[in-house]
Amino acid sequence: MIFLLSGLSLLVAAAFAVISMRNHRRGNAVFATLVVAGCGLGIVPAVQVLYSATAVRSGFASALPGGDWIFGIDPLSAVFLIALFGVGAAAAVYGVGYMAFDSRTPAWPCHALFALELVALALVVCAQAIMPFMGAWELMAIGSLLLILTEYRHAEARRAGLIYIVATHVGTLALFAMFAVLARTSSDWSFSALATGTTSPSGARIAVLALALVGFGVKAGFVPLHFWLPPAHAAAPSHVSALFSGVLIKVGIYGLLRVITLVGPPPAWWGWLVLGLGLSSAVLGVLWALAQHDIKRLLAYHSVENIGIILMGLGAGALGQAYGHPSLAILGYGAALLHTLNHALFKSILFLAAGAVYRLTGTRNMEELGGLARRMPLTWLAFVVGSAAIIGVPPLNGFVSEWLVFQTLFRAGFSADALRIAVLAVPGLALVGGLALACFVKVGGVVFLGTPRSSRSLSASKPGLLLDGPPLVLAAVCVFIGCLPVLVLPPMLIAGGFVAGVPLLPLEARAMAAAVGAREISIMAAVLALTAAAIWLIAQGLRRTVPVRQSETWGCGYPLPSARMQYTASSFAAPLLEIFGKLSGVRAHRGASVFHSESVDLILDGAVVPWWAVIERAALRLRPLQQGRLSRYLMYVISTVVALLAYLLVRAGDR
Amino acid sequence: MRAPEFMMHAATLVVVMLLAPLIPGIASRTRSILTARRGAPVWQLYSDLWKLLRRGSVYSRTTTVIFRLVPIALLACVVVSASMLPLDGRSAMLRFPGDVVAFAYVLALGRFVLVLGALDTGSSFEGMGASREVTFAALVEFGFFIALASLSVATHELSLSGMLGSRALAVTWASSAPALIMIVGGLFVLLLAECSRSPVDDPTTHLELTMIHEVIVLDHSGPDLAMILYANALKLSVIGALLARVAMPTMGLSYAMRLGVLVAGLFAVGIGIGVVESSMARLRLPKVPLYIAGGSALSAFALILLLQ
Repeated sequence: MIFLLSGLSLLVAAAFAVISMRNHRRGNAVFATLVVAGCGLGIVPAVQVLYSATAVRSGFASALPGGDWIFGIDPLSAVFLIALFGVGAAAAVYGVGYMAFDSRTPAWPCHALFALELVALALVVCAQAIMPFMGAWELMAIGSLLLILTEYRHAEARRAGLIYIVATHVGTLALFAMFAVLARTSSDWSFSALATGTTSPSGARIAVLALALVGFGVKAGFVPLHFWLPPAHAAAPSHVSALFSGVLIKVGIYGLLRVITLVGPPPAWWGWLVLGLGLSSAVLGVLWALAQHDIKRLLAYHSVENIGIILMGLGAGALGQAYGHPSLAILGYGAALLHTLNHALFKSILFLAAGAVYRLTGTRNMEELGGLARRMPLTWLAFVVGSAAIIGVPPLNGFVSEWLVFQTLFRAGFSADALRIAVLAVPGLALVGGLALACFVKVGGVVFLGTPRSSRSLSASKPGLLLDGPPLVLAAVCVFIGCLPVLVLPPMLIAGGFVAGVPLLPLEARAMAAAVGAREISIMAAVLALTAAAIWLIAQGLRRTVPVRQSETWGCGYPLPSARMQYTASSFAAPLLEIFGKLSGVRAHRGASVFHSESVDLILDGAVVPWWAVIERAALRLRPLQQGRLSRYLMYVISTVVALLAYLLVRAGDR
Repeated sequence: MRAPEFMMHAATLVVVMLLAPLIPGIASRTRSILTARRGAPVWQLYSDLWKLLRRGSVYSRTTTVIFRLVPIALLACVVVSASMLPLDGRSAMLRFPGDVVAFAYVLALGRFVLVLGALDTGSSFEGMGASREVTFAALVEFGFFIALASLSVATHELSLSGMLGSRALAVTWASSAPALIMIVGGLFVLLLAECSRSPVDDPTTHLELTMIHEVIVLDHSGPDLAMILYANALKLSVIGALLARVAMPTMGLSYAMRLGVLVAGLFAVGIGIGVVESSMARLRLPKVPLYIAGGSALSAFALILLLQ
């Protein structure tokens, strides 16, 4: 605990340092150093808890209503702390370089808020009672709103902030209701008391699980609650997008898992619901991502997809619990947690690399980019590793967690009860993998390969170490997890066992990781590397024996190729989007000599905004009530008092 | 795994690697016989590869390092996926729970690099081919995993070696043959799509606009092209071997017999491709998803039968 507290203090100190040294040359360097040191200290107890399968906690006596303020680290919070501090440190260092490009927006408010947001996120996952949890939850919500508004001069950012604040408060409302139901039968408001008081009637449990799905679902952003996510991720600075996608939305997943530890094994319908939501979220998320032209919006939709994959693991785990297969539950939850960590890593790489592209070219529109691999080779390297990880190919970390989710679903197919129907989700997940491959070939190919499609990408240069270093470090971690899952899987299984209510000893977790084949993944990675190396040697030998020359790309004999003749991102994605028809959300406008297509969000533009207009019109009807005359308002007050008095009289008469 | 057994698996892999260029030859020979033409000899691909190995290479000035990685990554991925398949009918060199997923995803890694290499040239034709390739591959992946899930449900196994090399497959053939017949049919439909054969792609076309797979490798030449052509032939053999092992369980047989069954199965796949190619034309592109959906539906029926 002392490490975590000092780490958090360093983060707060970093915020104050960057504010007080805002006109100082070294302010940013001090800020970055303090954040990295704070994250480094904070990650120590999390790793310790996770590898030793223990938990630490400490309480602060409070005179306020709501009981003591208890904070602690258990295996579940430790996973999220590791993702938070790992991504946080990399994104903060990157942020210093990123914000320096924009001379009009002062950087210090963003930096200070970023450090404080890290603290708020850490408090959310460490809170062990209702009061500190909700307090930290609101701090987190407000902090992220202000971070979205960093570039408040753009109308786009203001709109994204508005949508976000409405969405997050709907979620908070659901959480208040959920905790109210939970706390009814418990002695105090600490999580440990809530967990022991779960002999509550099944109606209350249904209410809690349903409200959790809404309250935490808005934050996690699965379909149809994802609508705030693409605008917010697109409008925020790129390192903030990385933090949002890597950690903030994962807090929703944390909340769902935490609720499972509070109410015990969820009923089967909840598991099926979560699995179904996960599958639809994964398929629709990647489909909508394919339709995007804005590189950051595209990445945001991929977060919707990956939240779906995480939910599939979570749902399979819940089903394992519901049907009484504890090992399946551990595997499912462990897969969900590992994918949470992995997604935090590779999605941060992608957002940071996309941010570097945006800064160096001034556009996020893929149709204006191209040929950046030659101009930004290190950014390209990081991006291609991140892409390979997100589509889930070996030997990278994304493969390990998707393979675990697959394995959970395959194993579910072996059972004799209704659980075996869960195997039907297998082809769905495979389709998601195939679509993700298409999508990242599109991004990587159109943005980085070929020839520049506009002067903006023609004039791009190397972004420098501050923008290239952090994503490359994260890419190295992705390769490490992908090649040596045997080191990372056991702690995830410990956390999964913690959620499933089957505590595992480190030794048991290692045995289970070996049983599912974690070691062989390393062997496969080694075989892949050795085979490729051997073939490379042969290829080099063969290439040396023949004459080699350079020429233009073959254009079927056409002598004057131009960059505009290249395939565009839209045409690349068109065949796949046409298969899915209206579901893909692409609206095409055809004229005699023009063709223009745009993608709309089926939920935001199709449902939320129209319904919002209906509510607004209804609210306007209430306008006459509010006229600004004091006499009117006094009349309202008096009539309310009279009505209450009448109510009391009637009640007294009844007795 | 004991050393002699391992040598057996390795020897089978070497046999398959040597025979791979023969299968497309058998397909085209079948076609030429059925359409009463003289046709190319069966070992045409061997001589093509030998010729390409001595030809010079031309690299486009637009391309980067990823273009030169394509033949290496593609071939490495196909070889590694082959090492996860129980070619000799009993076990693979590499087996672990969930290696079915690894098998498909290693092939996907090869495709990822291949398609990026196509976009690396900046050619509009290759962009078009890349777009078609990833579109159909995503759909094929869907159908392929339905077949894998059915096999896993039938045999209660998580690895290819367990599914295809154990007694469980023979037991399933005895108990629910209709389901397995549908899986075999579905896999053959998907094989034609995945390995770019008719009716999805026409390997004999000379018009870039109608190509899928050929157009992606338009800018590769010399030894690079030889390696890519070889990798494609090997991929056809690998998926053909998977099909052969599902269709013909060889549990109790001796090693020589099992190898014979494998080679016979591969030849049968080649003849099957030739028969399809000589009897039907390439489908219009918008019809291809329906074709793949049909293949997937076959496996889906099998899965429903087995889940009953």
